[in-house]
Amino acid sequence: MGALIEGKGLTKSFGGLTALKGVDFHLDEGEIIGLIGPNGAGKTTLFNLVSGVFHPDSGKLYFNSKNITILKPFEICRLGIARTFQIVRPFLKMSCFENTLVGIIGRNDKNGGKEERKDEVRTLLKFVGLGNREQTLAKDLTLIEKKRLEMARALATKPKVLLLDEVLAGLNPSEILQALELIEVIRTQLKMTVFWIEHVMGAIMKASDRIIVLDQGEKIKEGKAEEIVSDLKVIEAYLGESDA
Amino acid sequence: MNEFLMYLTNGIVIGVINAISAIGVSLIVGIMRVVNFAHGELYIFAGYFSYHLSASLGVPPLLAMPLSIFFIFLIGIGMERTLIRPTYGDEMYSLIITFVLSIVLQNAALLIFGPYPNKPPNLVSGATNIFGLYHYGNQRLLSFFISIGILLFIFYLIKRTWFGKSIRAVSQDREMSSLVGVDHLRVNMLSFGLGAALAGAAGVIVAPIFPVTPTGSSAISLNAFVVVVLGGMGSLKGCVIGGLALGIIENLGAAYLSTMYRNIFGFVILILVLVFRPWGLFGQKAQ
Amino acid sequence: MGNKQQAGTAKKVGIPALFIILAILPPFFLSQYWLHVMIISLFYVMMASSWNLIAGFTGQVSFAHAAFSGIGAYASGMVAVNLGVPPWLGILIGTGVAALLGLGLGYLCIRMGGIYLSLTTLGFSEILRIIITNEDKWTRGTMGLQVPGFFSEYSKANYYYLFLVVTIFLLIVIYWIVHSEMGLTFRAVLNDELAASSSGINTIRVRILAFTISSAMAGLAGGLYGHYLMLITPDIPSLGQMFLVLAMAVIGGMGSFIGPIVGSFVLETLSEYIRIYGEYHVLLFGLVALAMARFAPEGLMGIVGKKWRKEWVH
Repeated sequence: MGALIEGKGLTKSFGGLTALKGVDFHLDEGEIIGLIGPNGAGKTTLFNLVSGVFHPDSGKLYFNSKNITILKPFEICRLGIARTFQIVRPFLKMSCFENTLVGIIGRNDKNGGKEERKDEVRTLLKFVGLGNREQTLAKDLTLIEKKRLEMARALATKPKVLLLDEVLAGLNPSEILQALELIEVIRTQLKMTVFWIEHVMGAIMKASDRIIVLDQGEKIKEGKAEEIVSDLKVIEAYLGESDA
Repeated sequence: MNEFLMYLTNGIVIGVINAISAIGVSLIVGIMRVVNFAHGELYIFAGYFSYHLSASLGVPPLLAMPLSIFFIFLIGIGMERTLIRPTYGDEMYSLIITFVLSIVLQNAALLIFGPYPNKPPNLVSGATNIFGLYHYGNQRLLSFFISIGILLFIFYLIKRTWFGKSIRAVSQDREMSSLVGVDHLRVNMLSFGLGAALAGAAGVIVAPIFPVTPTGSSAISLNAFVVVVLGGMGSLKGCVIGGLALGIIENLGAAYLSTMYRNIFGFVILILVLVFRPWGLFGQKAQ
Repeated sequence: MGNKQQAGTAKKVGIPALFIILAILPPFFLSQYWLHVMIISLFYVMMASSWNLIAGFTGQVSFAHAAFSGIGAYASGMVAVNLGVPPWLGILIGTGVAALLGLGLGYLCIRMGGIYLSLTTLGFSEILRIIITNEDKWTRGTMGLQVPGFFSEYSKANYYYLFLVVTIFLLIVIYWIVHSEMGLTFRAVLNDELAASSSGINTIRVRILAFTISSAMAGLAGGLYGHYLMLITPDIPSLGQMFLVLAMAVIGGMGSFIGPIVGSFVLETLSEYIRIYGEYHVLLFGLVALAMARFAPEGLMGIVGKKWRKEWVH
């Protein structure tokens, strides 16, 4: 059995700037994989390639051995890869209920009636802790609530893989613990594979099975948390960032 | 055969004027993602300005032309400051506003200038024998050379000067350009003015050959839009090649196929481009 | 809870019902002239509301809405004149032709983005005008195509009721679409195209669908209009007409259900009063629309009061 998602030699540049240089990576089913690296390392670009927002200049992407390199975002979502955004993008002028419903409507298997979909939305909103916010417009939510809403919308598409882009940024320690529990539940109960970008090092080290480190568009290291922490190259990449 | 060469020459002369007009649209689209639907009206206004300056106020035609272009430049700056600037980031409102503006200006032109075609005086008269093959009007030849001059000037401006570098920086990446210190509000304003001035330039060059009328403006806008789509949005080279192609096709088409349908050739090209090469001849294939 | 909901439902059904009852009355007390103005207003309600469906609810600016109404009118008129097809059937044919052309045009340019749709629809309008003017063998050019009316005996009251019924039908369809799951995808695309696409919404398909539905509605409105005037001229698909429809939606309030309805009645009634000043009224409407788009993008409905509007729209 091959990897769930596999990327081979992914390269992407914008104008004169190379954001990713020949990155290989894979995700196995049921894993929680962390993606770290200094600012501008190409983390979000990698997410954008996997979710179809951009297409790589060269390289290939596979999902369940199917070539998804040039599919559009909605096609990739329907295959089972959902995401959140680093700078949150809920549908601002729509209620939490409507935001989440969009995720269900976008799905291929819309079986069940309107009432069942409503129930599903309510369950999801409760799951991310927005049970009492159903009719609130997304623009009136706090940043943390918007992140949760994006999570609910992503989960509503019933993904096999969830890409989370800095969901912990701006949360306080107790909220981080809650969020980590949520991610663990997503893996164990909903049986999803989680691929996440995070700057909160302690959290991502603790909660990930495996970590990929990007620096200046290249993969410089991959392995378990303890291997990463002790790696010189990784430390240099981060020290280099604090110098700048 | 000589007849064919004559139509071809007409096509080339109109083609370079098309190119100037289209660059005016393309510049604004490339930098601000705004389509100026009032482009044709600015062109018409320039034609009327140069007519009234020279015919009614006695300004020498050679001075009336740059003066008219300068007025249109100022109108462009004013439009950007008052109406376009607040719409940045909201494509829908900029489309609506420039469309409404085109209707307003068209009706204003009808009221101010009347419905009749007007034609500024010719700068030169007579005709020249081209390579002993056919005679060609001196006014048209002069228009051609003025147009080439303007095109060279635009290329110099955009490829060589600081202003051109800022323009290219903003059109490629707004965020990056502001990081390196480009004031993109000012770049936007100046390029909108420049775009308008190019509409004006095309207008004053054409007016002595084809008199302007207020109702002719939508055809002029469309012409420029077709060239921009054909050449590829935001491509200067595309505008020149596209402008020439459209000028030649329209003139040969009108001569050998149908005069009534002169303007349809442009639309047919537009549809063909959308079907076969939607990003245009020289445009970047979008992500 | 139950009571509140019941009250809400009563309001939702009750107030429109009241309006409909009021709408039945005009033929009993309005002069023929003002009845005509009401009929024309209803035509504009259909036009502005269906244009609002794409512009206000998916953020796409089509300049071919008047062109599609012209297609509806000419298609229906030509089959009536040449083949003797009754207007009732003709307007359905016209609607179908408008829908097909809308689908084709939308398919070609919507994938390239909003700017392309606006450019192409503007070109389409202009070309349609040229074709109609030049192919006078079929269309009678600027002379206008004389077509039969709907009723064997001419009666403004009958036309008023016909327009009223079709307008209410279109408004119900629009209301239903906006509040359905399809409408939800429209609004998602308008709010954030990338987020919608990343949530599994085929945004291009949604936009083409909205454009096709809206164009078909314009075709239907145009067909009715043509058979009411009994003379179809190139003014119906003109950009001037397009501008009026756009101004009605913008001034009334885009993106709201009521806005274009209000805008249509206000502008059409107003233009009857200022028509004596000739073409100035286009200039005036243009300036008002500019000011609205610039300073009050939510139009009259936005100014009148958000609370009131909210209860109605959502």
